[in-house]
Amino acid sequence: MKHLVRSQGFGAVIGVAVMLAVFTLVDFSGWWTVPTVSNVTQFASILAFVTMGEALVIMTKEIDLSVGSVYGLAGVSFITLEPPLGVPGSLLVALLIAALAGLGQGIAVVKGQLPSMIVTLGGLFIARGIIYVWTGGSVHNFSPDARAHPLTRVLGGELFGVEAAIFWIVAIAALLGLMLWATPFGNRLLATGGGRESAESRGVRTERVKIVTFVLCSLLAGFAGILTLCNQPQTHVTLGENMELEAISAAVIGGCLLTGGRGSILGAILGALIVVSFRYELIALGAPSSWYITFVGVVLIAAVIFNQSLARRLGHSV
Amino acid sequence: MNIKKLAMLTAVLAASVVAGTAGAQDNDKQYRFVMVSHIGSNDPNMNWLTLSLKEFEKKYPNVKTEYISTNNYSVQEHVRLLEQAIATHPDGIAVPIVSSDAFEGPLRKAIDEGIPVVAFNIPDSRPAGERIPYLTYVGGDEYLTGKKLGEYAIEQAKEGKIPQPKHVVCASHDSAHQGLKARCKGMKDAMAAVGAKFDELFIGAEPAGARNALQSFLQANPDTNYIFTVAGWSAPWAWSVANEMKLDPDVDDKGMTILTVDEGPVSIEGVRAGHLLATNSQGFWLQGYEPMEWLYWNKKFGYAPQSDILTGPVIINKDNADQWAKQVRAVFGDKAYDEQNTW
Repeated sequence: MKHLVRSQGFGAVIGVAVMLAVFTLVDFSGWWTVPTVSNVTQFASILAFVTMGEALVIMTKEIDLSVGSVYGLAGVSFITLEPPLGVPGSLLVALLIAALAGLGQGIAVVKGQLPSMIVTLGGLFIARGIIYVWTGGSVHNFSPDARAHPLTRVLGGELFGVEAAIFWIVAIAALLGLMLWATPFGNRLLATGGGRESAESRGVRTERVKIVTFVLCSLLAGFAGILTLCNQPQTHVTLGENMELEAISAAVIGGCLLTGGRGSILGAILGALIVVSFRYELIALGAPSSWYITFVGVVLIAAVIFNQSLARRLGHSV
Repeated sequence: MNIKKLAMLTAVLAASVVAGTAGAQDNDKQYRFVMVSHIGSNDPNMNWLTLSLKEFEKKYPNVKTEYISTNNYSVQEHVRLLEQAIATHPDGIAVPIVSSDAFEGPLRKAIDEGIPVVAFNIPDSRPAGERIPYLTYVGGDEYLTGKKLGEYAIEQAKEGKIPQPKHVVCASHDSAHQGLKARCKGMKDAMAAVGAKFDELFIGAEPAGARNALQSFLQANPDTNYIFTVAGWSAPWAWSVANEMKLDPDVDDKGMTILTVDEGPVSIEGVRAGHLLATNSQGFWLQGYEPMEWLYWNKKFGYAPQSDILTGPVIINKDNADQWAKQVRAVFGDKAYDEQNTW
């Protein structure tokens, strides 16, 4: 228990517990149904991929505003390149495009000593512009053969009646958690965000860590785009629009501090769950759907206050 | 023939020659009309407009038309293009009034300089006395789009072909877009006539988020049996959500009924496949051709229409969808048409 309280996702655990308690009280019969839980967990899984990448970048005291556009670009690449390359080929190239986007931005931030907010804002526009020009305003269809391809089914179908995205998020979150808490790279990543000079004095090559983290972030966003399209190939050039804001909100709600060095994979997933659940339940309760963004703002500010106060109580500097 | 008669005949002949020459000069006079559009090459609908301009030039060889637009749309960029076009002193301008405030200054200046202006695709929605004094508006009517589609659905329901509407949701991707709100309002008014409940749902433009929002709404409102998507590209999202929820979204006398808008491949193929009850056309081709023709008639003969010219809505249903598909294929090309069919 003591370990849980001290863990960096504790704020998000409390948030999810409070949220579930409130939803149970106000809408027990509507919330605790198989379709509702299935819908919320499926969409939360997609957002969680993007949020995990964002959380890693935030832990290094940077930010990535391009994740929504990279998510869209990878998804659109996957669909558009499928006819000439086949499903496995287009999957690899789409992931490569995402990785290159992360690499380019990482290098620009680190080597150019530019603010990540500006570089990735540029990345957001560039990637979205490429989508518009490449597709001519309308995304191509995904052929019936491609939809039936085993790889498409493994990424986007159902396994034992459960959406594949949920299995993927569990597997990849476990790997990332392991990387963050049980490998030297994870230690270096947190050290880079915690204090660059201090980390460098201990031999951490912070520039390299940041570049790798940007690549990881874009790869996760790209993978989420591909998972979404494997599940539902009916899409549009708006794929991933404004997703960066949801991902940053979810990462912060999940316990990431923009001051760097603090955050967790579990928190990122729970943050995404909170954001998606709020959207779902507000609509279910009959609130105008455009209120969702207002509530996300309220929850975001409340979460920042709560997480900062929790971090101070635990003796962390924020 | 005396001298007097000869002189008169000569005068008549001379007058005829002069008049004929003047007429020939008038026929040969070259005109240049510019369409300053918000529909760029990233939007397949641009083809409707550019092809219709080509047809217009074939019929009126003494007119040169120019189509200018920007891919990365912004009102500021559109105004800049408009001002550049006015500076070249064309014989006429066709422009959508995307923003009355932003376009008022440049267009009033053009009109004061004697350049006739026709609004197309989007009118100045202010009252007649306050709007920009353009010749006329050529385009669709957003309110009628929703209303006529709703009335068509009610007709079909009365004939027992689809379920009676009980609860209709208008799924909109942009809560601030007045045109989309007008479409929903038209549908709402049509459905009020048969006592159906009506809700407007902002689903956003991001596919995953939109599905999540729509699924949530349908889960919480199980009596919903009609979905109206105010963009053609969001119709497959609505269908897939309803299908996943086992709400029988194909067109028949039970389950969910889905309507949408636009004459793009997604909408037309949705109707042809029996996924969508109907869609509409706002007459894109005419929106390219008609403004040019009115500019020409105004410039040459001084004609000015006394009302707006509606080019839509035209209902596209299973009875005429095949013909529409042929026409749209001719405009988009077979390859682009098939690629854009995302069903």
